[in-house]
Amino acid sequence: MEQQQKKESKQSEKPQYIRAYAAMVLSRTLDKKIVSAQRQGRVGFYTPTMGQEALQVGVSMALEKEDLVYGYYRDVPMMLHRGVPIETIINQIMGNSADTAKGRQMPSHYTSKAFHFMSVQSPVASNLPLAAGAAYALKYRKKKNVVITTFGDGATSTPDFHAGMNLAAVFKLPVVFVCENNGWAISLPVERQTMVEISQKASAYGMPGIKADGMNFIEMYKAARTAIQDARAGKGPTLIDALSYRMGPHSTSDDPSKYRKDEVTEGSEKDPLVIGEKLLTSMDFADDKLLEKIRNEAIKTVDEKFDACEKIPPPDPLTAFQDVYKNMTWMLEEEVKNIL
Amino acid sequence: MTSKTMNMVQALNSALDNLMASDDRVILLGEDIGTDGGVFRVTEGLLAKYGPERVLDTPLVEVGIVGMAIGMAVQGLRPIPEIQFQDFIYTAMDQIINQMAKIRFRSGGEYDCPMVLRTPYGAGVKGGLYHSQSGESYFAHTAGLTVVTPSNPYDAKGLLVSSSQGDDPVIFLEPKRLYRALKQEVPEDIYKIPIGKAEVVQSGDDLTIITYGSMVPTVMETVKKNQINAEVLDLRTLVPVDRDAIMHSVQKTGRVVIVHEAPRTGGFGGEISAMITERGIDFLYAPILRVTGPDSPVPYRMEEYYVPNEKRILNAVNKVMESA
Ligand SMILES: Cc1ncc(C[n+]2csc(CCOP(=O)(O)OP(=O)(O)O)c2C)c(N)n1
Ligand SMILES: [Mg+2]
Repeated sequence: MEQQQKKESKQSEKPQYIRAYAAMVLSRTLDKKIVSAQRQGRVGFYTPTMGQEALQVGVSMALEKEDLVYGYYRDVPMMLHRGVPIETIINQIMGNSADTAKGRQMPSHYTSKAFHFMSVQSPVASNLPLAAGAAYALKYRKKKNVVITTFGDGATSTPDFHAGMNLAAVFKLPVVFVCENNGWAISLPVERQTMVEISQKASAYGMPGIKADGMNFIEMYKAARTAIQDARAGKGPTLIDALSYRMGPHSTSDDPSKYRKDEVTEGSEKDPLVIGEKLLTSMDFADDKLLEKIRNEAIKTVDEKFDACEKIPPPDPLTAFQDVYKNMTWMLEEEVKNIL
Repeated sequence: MTSKTMNMVQALNSALDNLMASDDRVILLGEDIGTDGGVFRVTEGLLAKYGPERVLDTPLVEVGIVGMAIGMAVQGLRPIPEIQFQDFIYTAMDQIINQMAKIRFRSGGEYDCPMVLRTPYGAGVKGGLYHSQSGESYFAHTAGLTVVTPSNPYDAKGLLVSSSQGDDPVIFLEPKRLYRALKQEVPEDIYKIPIGKAEVVQSGDDLTIITYGSMVPTVMETVKKNQINAEVLDLRTLVPVDRDAIMHSVQKTGRVVIVHEAPRTGGFGGEISAMITERGIDFLYAPILRVTGPDSPVPYRMEEYYVPNEKRILNAVNKVMESA
């Protein structure tokens, strides 16, 4: 343990930490770009991820390439850190012809099989039972991979949360349940969502429940790493209550001033990016110059990619009716002929 | 190919056995399906033969059984979950409608969900409100689902094999009243009956009776006993329904009676009726009549008044024959 800690402070960790920080910055930059584009009418809708960067990147750092993510609509930082091209995210937001899902899903519902990121559904928490099934498949095939499933604090009240947690525990599956506890489910604060701390819920299922500082990417990485190691070693699932804060509105259609005062503002001490910067500089992994360079590169990348993706034409209307089944049914074929 | 006399339960069991033997991706999961062999015994003996990794006795949670099976399918397995009674499937409807049915579409075809959700449905075993429902329309109304319902042991096996070896999710509705009602010679080896193909159970000239699942034997008994020269179609698959078989027969007879056990309003009979009038109203000599369950829950004691019977079918047949 001691040895491990020593190793961590060594210079060899530097590239990994810099990469984590860069992903957080890229995600934040993209977030702000999309929100402002939405205000200009260039994007239909978006669920910002601001405030949850450190949490997601911390988890992603602990994952291996072939591990599976059954995530939700706020997982952009994790996707970017995993290496999903930024275009995949922008094209999905635009719903253009280059979008993986051919513009079929509303913005924030990503898919990337190449990076083992399962397509996102809207109904909250219904990815949890799927994660248990996916983990069962991994275990059955004797693969050493794990499944990460993410969801919000609101999701913990659903029947699917209970079903997924219980099944993963009963079958001792390699799943890590990451509750991205950002304090709010649209307008409902977590104190009104449940009468216990979310981590406590784990004990009802016979799995460890841990609280993690989701605003500190290194703390988050360590917590996730332990849970993921356990899952990989066949010890079964863990629930992580990852404490963070939804710094933005629930979505671009939401006005949080109706129900709360923002507690974490951008650039403040509590901002996970500011915390990340402090961590890096205190370890001598980065100085202001490097941080500045990372920020500038992110802006350049986001601006360039966003503009390029915006020029991509909309999908062929026919694609709106394909992939319902592997082969189109005669009924749909008939309707499509009438429509197109 | 050797065959054996089997009832529907045995035929389904044989199908599951063949599927599991030929493909290690096939996994069964559900309540009481392992040690107990299922409350209707469809999975009897399979736990002993294939072990607990492939036959999972799950906790009591339909939404979890279906959701977990979907995750398995997405990750390359071929799960066949069982819902003990169709009446209890409703807590899993979100998983069925919003996950299972939409995975291929919403992922741009990157992911798929090949699985069969088996469940016994229908009245006739004195199960009352909550062990008797026929909910096929709920599933037929959801794009992305294939809906299959066999009416005899031979079809049950062949259709289950096809369903499991297909590319997309299938709702497989087993008419529980017929589980042990009749026996047939059924091959012991694996074979398929194509999805989307109806069967002409009896050919005839005077009218077409379109039915499926639990009502097929009742229709056949009525037709035989009363020497009705009817063409009887067993749809076998509701989605995608066999348009050509239906239109071919309607063109020949010009008179149609549709028989199903589910309630009339919003029932699948309405869909078939609309389909026929849309493309063949000129063939018709008489209005299309439906004989269905009433728009009421299935009662416990007076069940025989609920399920369409000889008398009601005969009434409808006579009525369409009277029209000029
Ligand atoms: C089953 C279901 N009910 C309602 C909604 C509408 N809805 C979308 S997000 C949301 C709040 C979710 O809060 P939380 O789980 O905390 O996640 P967060 O958005 O805060 O990340 C609601 C009510 C939904 N998508 N699914
Ligand atoms: Mg929340």
